[in-house]
Amino acid sequence: VSPAREVLVVEDDADLAALLEIILLDAGYAVRSAGDGAQALERVAERMPGLVLLDMRMPVMNGWEFAREFAARHGRAAPIVVVTAAENARLRAEEIGADGWLEKPFELEDVIAAAARFLGPAAGAAHAGF
Amino acid sequence: VSSDAQGERDIPGLGRARAHSPGQVRRSALTPFRIVLLYAAVGIAWILLSDRALEALVRDPVYLQELQTVKGAAYVCVTAFLLYYLIRRNEQDRRVQSEEVRAVFEGMADAVLVVDAASRVVGVNRAAVELFKAHHERELLVPLSDLMLRTGMRHLDGTPLAFAQTATRRALAGEVVTAFEERFRAFDGKETVVSITAAPIRPRPGDPPRLAVAVVRDIAEEKRFEEMREEFLATAAHELRTPLAVVKAYAQLMRKRSQGDPVALDTIARQIDRLTRIVHQLLEVSRFRVGDAELRPERFDLSALLVETADALREAAETHRILVSTGAEVVVKADRARIGQVITSLIENAVRFSPQGGDVEAALERRGAEAVVWVRDHGVGIAPERQARVFERFYRAHAGTAHDYGGLGVGLDMSREIVARHGGRIWFESAAGEGSTFSFALPVAPEERPS
Repeated sequence: VSPAREVLVVEDDADLAALLEIILLDAGYAVRSAGDGAQALERVAERMPGLVLLDMRMPVMNGWEFAREFAARHGRAAPIVVVTAAENARLRAEEIGADGWLEKPFELEDVIAAAARFLGPAAGAAHAGF
Repeated sequence: VSSDAQGERDIPGLGRARAHSPGQVRRSALTPFRIVLLYAAVGIAWILLSDRALEALVRDPVYLQELQTVKGAAYVCVTAFLLYYLIRRNEQDRRVQSEEVRAVFEGMADAVLVVDAASRVVGVNRAAVELFKAHHERELLVPLSDLMLRTGMRHLDGTPLAFAQTATRRALAGEVVTAFEERFRAFDGKETVVSITAAPIRPRPGDPPRLAVAVVRDIAEEKRFEEMREEFLATAAHELRTPLAVVKAYAQLMRKRSQGDPVALDTIARQIDRLTRIVHQLLEVSRFRVGDAELRPERFDLSALLVETADALREAAETHRILVSTGAEVVVKADRARIGQVITSLIENAVRFSPQGGDVEAALERRGAEAVVWVRDHGVGIAPERQARVFERFYRAHAGTAHDYGGLGVGLDMSREIVARHGGRIWFESAAGEGSTFSFALPVAPEERPS
């Protein structure tokens, strides 16, 4: 898998994580998942993804802590898009210096657009058969 | 007249307190003027009648002379006693009255501070001593500025409170201050949040205030509860969003993959959007009120926003035509999303409250320095007795009527808040059975000089 086409989904809600995975796989991206910030740091250490989709409120290590650690260890090696239930998603993104934000509940197309923005266009044609 | 009734007439509300000491009831029909008049009349009558009587009864002039001297002395004695009696009774009444006032003052659950024109605290009740956690009321009978300094009085948000802004200073300037909220540290260091109502006391109407009386209520508990409620609302709204996101995205995903009934999936997606809006409103109305949500003003064409918003709502309004008329572009400097929210709210209401269908008209007009947007429907209208409360938070003018079409009762409250924060105003005209016209006005942005 080319890391440039890979998304790391950091989300503690298993259903939501699975959903994001399906959406992104459908769109032709590779996906790995992490249930909290600490796991995400491990995944990142294994291989740098092309994009991190980051939930903010998580157990063990939340999104704020992850973003701080990530910046300390890897700088801006991968763009981060915040996926948040907060009332002001934009403010959340600004708080941690993220590159974008998705507000829950999001549109399917917004998720794909976010991935496309950082990883190149979705492989739409290949999956049109779905 | 019964003693009770008389007491109540003297000082409203104190009749009952006086009834405990019936012996000291005042016969206050005797005003000073009446006493003097009575004294003069009795005196003149006594002098004339007693002189006549003595002259008729006593022939001896020497004896008569002596008798008249005795009569004079007796008269002085009797009137002196009468005078003593009246003064004493008056004094007693006064003392009883002031004791009663004092008892009421002391018995009040709210703290009361009386401040004189020189801004010195001259009176406090027991509740005030307790509120400030003072050991003795003497500690509070100090210049107001000393008290401010010692307790660190400041605004609710912690910013310093200027001397001239204090409720009592404003009352001494002639203002009646209601529900002025501030915080301070009691003498034991405990942080206290209070609501103050202060009024000037004038010797006579029209005179400059001689005293200010401030009623101070501890609202720390209320505030804490309010904060907890807002916090809970925020958490609940937050928690609801993840499940909403999952359900909505799966519906969209299935639709995209041509799985399942497309109508059913669209309905699910639409209802999820509706739920999301409700969650959003619940959270927003409290946040916005608290002042968390800041505005992001930008220059934009209000007529374009009106057209855009109406277009977006047209899809949902199958039975209504939404007609928009705008003229030239009108540029305002405002938070575009928020103003869009106001327009949405007004059009949604217009649609909701014209259930038989019909046209909803919306227009933008420039009136002098103001841009006025109005939205008119030909629906059920608002009954006159409910009109005054239309903009009240959580008030639903049609609740419990045949025209209760749902809603949380927050749209217009939010709209008013948003418009007011932009220095604008919002109003409506309505006749029951004929429909309503809601309008709001925003200041037109001044031309920006090309740099």
